Amino acid sequence: MKRRRWILAGVSGLALLVPFVTPPGADAQCALGVPVIRVGVQGSSSGAHADYGRQIQMGATMAVEEINAAGGVLGCKLEMKFVDEELKPASAVKNARYLVTEWGAHFLVGVDSSGSAMAIGPVLPELKRIHFFTHAATHRLTEELVAQKGIQEIVRVSVPVYQESLAAWVFKDRPEIKRFATIGADYEYGYSTWNLFKETMKKFRPDAEFVAAAWAPFWTMDFSPHIAAVMAQKPDAIIATPWAGEAVMLLRQALLQGVFDKIQVWFQGMGGSVDVLEGITREVQQDKFKGKLWATARYIHNWPDTPENKAFNERFDKRWGRLPNYSAETTYSAIYIAKAAVEKAKSLETPKVLEALKGMQIQTPAGLRVFREEDHQFVYNVPAGRVVWDPKYPIAVLGDLKVVPAKDYYRYPPFTPVAATK
Amino acid sequence: MSERTRRALATLGRSPQTWTLLLAAALFLLPLVAGRYLLYVTIHILILSLFALGFNLLFGYTGLLSFGQAGFFAVGAYGCAKILLAIPSLLLGVLGGSAAAGLAALLLGALSVRHTRIYFSMLTLAFGMMIYSIAWKWRDFTGGDDGLVGIPRAPLDLPGLVTLDLSTMERYYTFVLVVALLAILLMYRLVRSPLGLALQGIRDSESRVAFAGLSVATYRLIAFTVAGLYAGLAGSLLPPLENTVTPPIAHWSASAEPVLATLLGGIHTFAGPIVGAFLFFAIKDLIVRFTEYWPLVLGTIVVVLVMGFRGGVASIVADALAARPGFGAGPGGRG
Repeated sequence: MKRRRWILAGVSGLALLVPFVTPPGADAQCALGVPVIRVGVQGSSSGAHADYGRQIQMGATMAVEEINAAGGVLGCKLEMKFVDEELKPASAVKNARYLVTEWGAHFLVGVDSSGSAMAIGPVLPELKRIHFFTHAATHRLTEELVAQKGIQEIVRVSVPVYQESLAAWVFKDRPEIKRFATIGADYEYGYSTWNLFKETMKKFRPDAEFVAAAWAPFWTMDFSPHIAAVMAQKPDAIIATPWAGEAVMLLRQALLQGVFDKIQVWFQGMGGSVDVLEGITREVQQDKFKGKLWATARYIHNWPDTPENKAFNERFDKRWGRLPNYSAETTYSAIYIAKAAVEKAKSLETPKVLEALKGMQIQTPAGLRVFREEDHQFVYNVPAGRVVWDPKYPIAVLGDLKVVPAKDYYRYPPFTPVAATK
Repeated sequence: MSERTRRALATLGRSPQTWTLLLAAALFLLPLVAGRYLLYVTIHILILSLFALGFNLLFGYTGLLSFGQAGFFAVGAYGCAKILLAIPSLLLGVLGGSAAAGLAALLLGALSVRHTRIYFSMLTLAFGMMIYSIAWKWRDFTGGDDGLVGIPRAPLDLPGLVTLDLSTMERYYTFVLVVALLAILLMYRLVRSPLGLALQGIRDSESRVAFAGLSVATYRLIAFTVAGLYAGLAGSLLPPLENTVTPPIAHWSASAEPVLATLLGGIHTFAGPIVGAFLFFAIKDLIVRFTEYWPLVLGTIVVVLVMGFRGGVASIVADALAARPGFGAGPGGRG
């Protein structure tokens, strides 16, 4: 009995040591003086929002495979490692430190949660590595940490929360819609979306009224009290910011309560995300939303209508059997942006690569992305649209697209604070 | 070498104190050989050790399973962070954070310790989540979901003596190591004191202790407060390391970490929580590198360890030592 435990202990101990024994690698150096270029990728791959991390991983994997098949970057092959950020800032920081100081990442890419991004940002100068953020949307990442605090290592490839204020541009020319309400995600993302929307809407329509706001925390399963509270104020339009699986649950419960018979429009912030569209496809096919459901995303697979984007979608579908979500496209493009910057800098050193990013304009599946020097934000267009059923696609898509130039609805330095409270 | 010296050396080699001293010395020398990441992870292991050690005073020694310890951990972390943002003095931050957590544990403990078993567990879970909600909602004070950022790794200011700059990882590691060793030593003295014996008595037979004329509730409250104090001390070591504090550290899922670490290491061995903290962190840290399905692998390993090592990994060593002449049963053992 005793002996068996000792054997078990010995085997477990040996098993723990296995990862520390690394296989002898080829120490060949490429043109940049390293064996390989290492890209450390993080996304949320456990829990309720796991599909976003999965999409980050798929986008990154595809970019790395393509670049390597075409000969790498200046003849250097890419190697990537994906780790789970768990939507926990503490885990994300630990991972970033591990990827750089232990695994030897030359670049960091990804991150879903804004909280994680805000926690990683201040650590980057110490790690001396550029982090290309590809989902975390808080405006404070680029406005406060880059433009105001001057952390140079933060670069954002995806659209920040400015995107959600597009709702104001979609509804401004419909005078019959006057009374606006929100069912909001009960954290900064929900508050700043609602505040930015109100700010923009007031400019267009001094007659707009903001009649109700109900806030649903993360992991809300039952939205009926929030829906009831907002509907009591008889709104014409609802702006909703719960996302991922929560958006699907919220929309289904709104249908059950007959909300779409009473309102004119519903704008679901990140409702253009592939996982949300997949979740509500059957309801869209049956026209349960009566054409009143609008949404946007940080990229949608059916826009822009260019050969590059079509080819990207086809390759993605062939490789993974799914449509690319926005976090897949932004991550894919981030790795190509890193490649372009390294090729221009002819170096992996952070200051030289940052210098090479200045003035960059690069064609990506989402269209032309332009680097903005003041806050290290890549600027590009993403339309909003009505959620429709198009037999061409296996899932619901955004149609009736409204394309507003990004320069019209992005915020500009010097940034004034957005009220980040309810 | 004379026979006597050889025998003295053999005795030394068999004594747990010698091994403990050797291990401590090795930890002090670690910065000479280890990279930054290994030091960073070791700091985390030391923090979790203190956290689990406090938890085990409640669980292993007093028989109370708390699911709300992350709340006190967070009070310590937020308290320390608030102090450091106002006054950059590390000593003040760590002491202040620990004191705040101890106070919170005293207040909530007074409401919890009259209950036992599942009722106690549920109450502590609720109080822990209450602290989580405060951290999440009270935006003006705690920064809401963004937490507190830009917390400085302040210098260690010993008034009238010396000011030590701890900005490098190596120096901060040494500071955490000294604090952790002192706290471990203090806990070791505590569990072997009459107070520690009384707590074990309460665990084994509540009514007997009551008949002996001791107030069960008072002793439980002391254990709860000390556990909260240790959770707070562990928490207050975190902000200077990470420079940020966010609400998830107060969530009930974070309360599970000391529970798991303690179960892995062993609840009836003094060193159990420390061994468990090392195992828990090392296992998770290694798995997340290899697979995004890490929760599945981690869960499987935990199940195997808990099923295979009834009483925890550390108890094997303790049992083996106890079987040899010259060793008493391990402290906290059910001797």
